[in-house]
Amino acid sequence: MATSGPVTEKALKLLRNLPRVTIANLKDLPGNQRKYDKRRGLKKGRSHGRGTKGQGQRMTLPRLGFEGGNTPFYLKVPQEPYYRGHHLRREYPPLSLLQLQRMIDLGRIDADEPIDLTTLCNTNLYHIELHKRHFGVNLTDEGADVFAAKVNIEVQWTDEVTIAAIERNGGTITTRYFDPLSLAAVVNPLRFFSRGIPIPKCKLPPEDALEFYMDPKNRGYLADQEHISEGRLELAQKYGYKLTDIQEDPMFDMLTKRKNPSQVFFGLNPGWIVNLKDKCVIKPVDEQYKTYYAS
Amino acid sequence: MLSKKLHSCRFDANDICRISSALTKILNVTAKRQVHDSSFDTSHELLQTDSGPVVPSRPLPLIIQKMDYPSRFAPPKQAWIESLGTIEDEKLGTIDLHPEIFGTYPRIDILHRNIVWQRNYKRISHAKTKSRAEVQGGGRKPWPQKGLGRARHGSIRSPIWVGGGRALGPRGPKSYFYMLPRHMRVLGLRTALSCKFAQNDLHIVDSLEIPSDDPAFIEELLDTRFWGFSALFVDDTDIMPRNISLALSKVPQFNLMPVYGLNVYSMLKHETLVLTLAALEKIQQKILHQMHKTSLDRSFKNERVRY
Repeated sequence: MATSGPVTEKALKLLRNLPRVTIANLKDLPGNQRKYDKRRGLKKGRSHGRGTKGQGQRMTLPRLGFEGGNTPFYLKVPQEPYYRGHHLRREYPPLSLLQLQRMIDLGRIDADEPIDLTTLCNTNLYHIELHKRHFGVNLTDEGADVFAAKVNIEVQWTDEVTIAAIERNGGTITTRYFDPLSLAAVVNPLRFFSRGIPIPKCKLPPEDALEFYMDPKNRGYLADQEHISEGRLELAQKYGYKLTDIQEDPMFDMLTKRKNPSQVFFGLNPGWIVNLKDKCVIKPVDEQYKTYYAS
Repeated sequence: MLSKKLHSCRFDANDICRISSALTKILNVTAKRQVHDSSFDTSHELLQTDSGPVVPSRPLPLIIQKMDYPSRFAPPKQAWIESLGTIEDEKLGTIDLHPEIFGTYPRIDILHRNIVWQRNYKRISHAKTKSRAEVQGGGRKPWPQKGLGRARHGSIRSPIWVGGGRALGPRGPKSYFYMLPRHMRVLGLRTALSCKFAQNDLHIVDSLEIPSDDPAFIEELLDTRFWGFSALFVDDTDIMPRNISLALSKVPQFNLMPVYGLNVYSMLKHETLVLTLAALEKIQQKILHQMHKTSLDRSFKNERVRY
């Protein structure tokens, strides 16, 4: 309906000389009147369109899906037990190396800084939806052959080929777990900081994921650093590339920058509050808080 | 395209200038105005009473043409700014109203849908009848199936018996809650405001301050100004001025309401709607936000909920 124009003006002008619009003189459009289920009258009232006798008249039709004694269609399809509990499982939306390379090439990601989930979400090309039980990014090996960037990246899930593709270029990769509360902060830091609550202490992974994150083969954040170095060498031998010495790399500091297992953001510790209004960081002074967040 | 746009802008500005100069003239010619606001300087008047003719000093008329998000399709509507300070109606100035809120097409059916919704969403029907199972007794077969020459019956509480249960009767407390779609609720508010404005039942006042807490004052004010039998006074907050609160508490047909309580039912129930300037600004801001926001409203699902 037009909000403005000659028709509206005419209608409003007409309304000026009509009785006052009140609750008593309103009316719906003629088409919106409800139709009665049970029609009366000589022609339609005899059996009200339901026929005579039987299930149709007495509303005793068999239950929905009943096929008169046959096996119903919904029981003919075999069960798929491997989907059991799918609504409870952790989900890691994939991001391919090709996509990552493209983001870097287009300047959506700065490869000179460590890349984590916040960086990926800030591109607005990759999305995490918490209510769908997303737990972070799964970096996949599509485009491993053409991946050429040297990055320090932190992901939640990945595979061997992807790790090899990154380390071949002299980069580093870590897999780490974020609990849902920390993940909400990581995915949208602005919204989290505007809530004015302290940065949470990131919890350890659940039991079924602990093994993955302690495995040096997965470059898990809970694995021993020496084992990871051995793993890097092992992988280079397996895929046949020459591992560059990270100690002599000019970007050594950037490539070896890591978060603590309880740390959510680079440069910010758990327990701190980021005040967006006054543009400052508030740190706890109480000893009890300090010991809690340090533990 | 651009020149056309510029041309239309110039025309609008000229138009408004012409209207405002005319208004100034009218205001200067109309009857003298008693100064009721303490902020107005009355010293000239006092000085001039001793020497020569009295020239009442008066502030310039208030003309508000500020609009944060003007309509691209229609010129603004104009309304008087009035005051509740005196019994007689004295205009303080004019204000521009948003045409998409105060000049929408009067969709009477949308008003009807809103009224029906407001009546129904809080309705609980307690109608309940006893079925044949709930009526006491009737467990025994009244007489044998065969051999008596009488009709077959299994229970004296069957629906065809006098004193039997009710077949397909209303069952228990039933909720009629549903949500009208958001755009219909917003359109309802816009239509109600437009109807009130079109029928001259909308009055904009500077504030709800009145000089006396006597209900006779406000009753006389409405009588004198022909503002109808009942009135709804709307302010932006729910902390109302003392005098009007006390005065209206004794008059059932005059009611106070904050902006957050404004609804179609109350607007149509009262003959006159009185908005303060602050309330007007807030209403316009809120309705424009609801009309043009792009985010999804997750607070209510647009489904009929049956329990």
